[in-house]
Amino acid sequence: MPEMVTLAIDEQEVEVEEGTNVLAAALGAGICIPNLCYLPGLKPTGACRVCIVEVEKNGRTKMTASCTLEAKDGMVIHAHSENVLRARRNIVELLVAEAPESEVLQVLAERIEVEDVRYPERDNDCILCGRCVTACAEIAATGAKGSIGRGMNRHIGLPFYNEEYCQKCYECRERCPMEIAPQSRRDPCGVCGSELSKNEDLIPEMCGDCELD
Amino acid sequence: MDLARVDAILEGRGSEPFDVMEVLQDIQEEFRYLPEDAMRQTAEILQVPLIEVFRLANFYKAFSLKPRGRHLITVCTGTACHVQGARKLGDQVLGQLKVGPGETTQDGAFTVETVNCVGACALAPVVIIDGEYYDHMTPKKLRKLISRIRKVDAQEEETRTNA
Ligand code: SF4
Ligand code: FES
Ligand code: FES
Repeated sequence: MPEMVTLAIDEQEVEVEEGTNVLAAALGAGICIPNLCYLPGLKPTGACRVCIVEVEKNGRTKMTASCTLEAKDGMVIHAHSENVLRARRNIVELLVAEAPESEVLQVLAERIEVEDVRYPERDNDCILCGRCVTACAEIAATGAKGSIGRGMNRHIGLPFYNEEYCQKCYECRERCPMEIAPQSRRDPCGVCGSELSKNEDLIPEMCGDCELD
Repeated sequence: MDLARVDAILEGRGSEPFDVMEVLQDIQEEFRYLPEDAMRQTAEILQVPLIEVFRLANFYKAFSLKPRGRHLITVCTGTACHVQGARKLGDQVLGQLKVGPGETTQDGAFTVETVNCVGACALAPVVIIDGEYYDHMTPKKLRKLISRIRKVDAQEEETRTNA
């Protein structure tokens, strides 16, 4: 029997197996924490920071990504506090500015009520979320792709930029927020707390990349 | 490229990230750059994804993907050095050797690179030539240093042809 841990997420008691990350714990309990780079069941990378939450400890709070945070007994998590919502909107705003063409990002922005984008548009075709890299390594088990360079010059690529190292399975493309259309098949469930998700008229576009069942 | 030289370097190495780094450093020293085949060999023998090797090779300034010259001149352009006039030093070297930053002279003698801070800010501006650190550099001192290296090289060349 795996050990169980109990934590509180948005004042709801959640029990999960030891080793579960906080994002998975929340989603499993029907608490929506918007996320982007996370691929359920695969190793989280914490690249996009959309899933940030506040962890409360001794009356102080610290903000951190929930997908890379391991659930611990007695943990107190705030996924929808004012601070979190503000920071998350800002993060998504930056992502939209980075890649205004991505429908997935637009839907995500809409869902968490980003009102306008105050940052200059960059028009990139990649936001470095790393989903393709995870998919390549863990789903395709090819492990061909990776992020190359650093700082402003960081980009995703193949060894020696040689296409031959790609097995053309396209597991990566199917998960790239720049390539895929927002998931539209889910009904609005309302659990993420967004007004949009409760509004029948706004389906099918709104529930962006929701991983809730 | 002589893969046996790579194999000799790879002998007995593990596949932890630090092992890969050590191997790459040794290959860099041996060939003065990281040849593609050497990186492939490293990935294969150490059983690490090739992209990991390529990523490291691209990440660190200490590695070069193109052959470097026999002498490496690194001009620090970090904040402290910049304030102390690193740009003039850069202009001096590049002008004297007629290359662009990151390039190698036609005769393969010098490669000029820049780096952002080498952790010796109190000695700014700093220039590193073939692993030796020169502090409080001035364009004049630099010009003399380069000329001297040229002269020594020419003398060596002469003794070699005469021998
Ligand atoms: S290519 Fe797509 S999936 Fe890969 S990092 Fe960029 S945006 Fe993410
Ligand atoms: S989903 Fe957690 S950082 Fe991207
Ligand atoms: S800035 Fe040149 S050594 Fe730090």
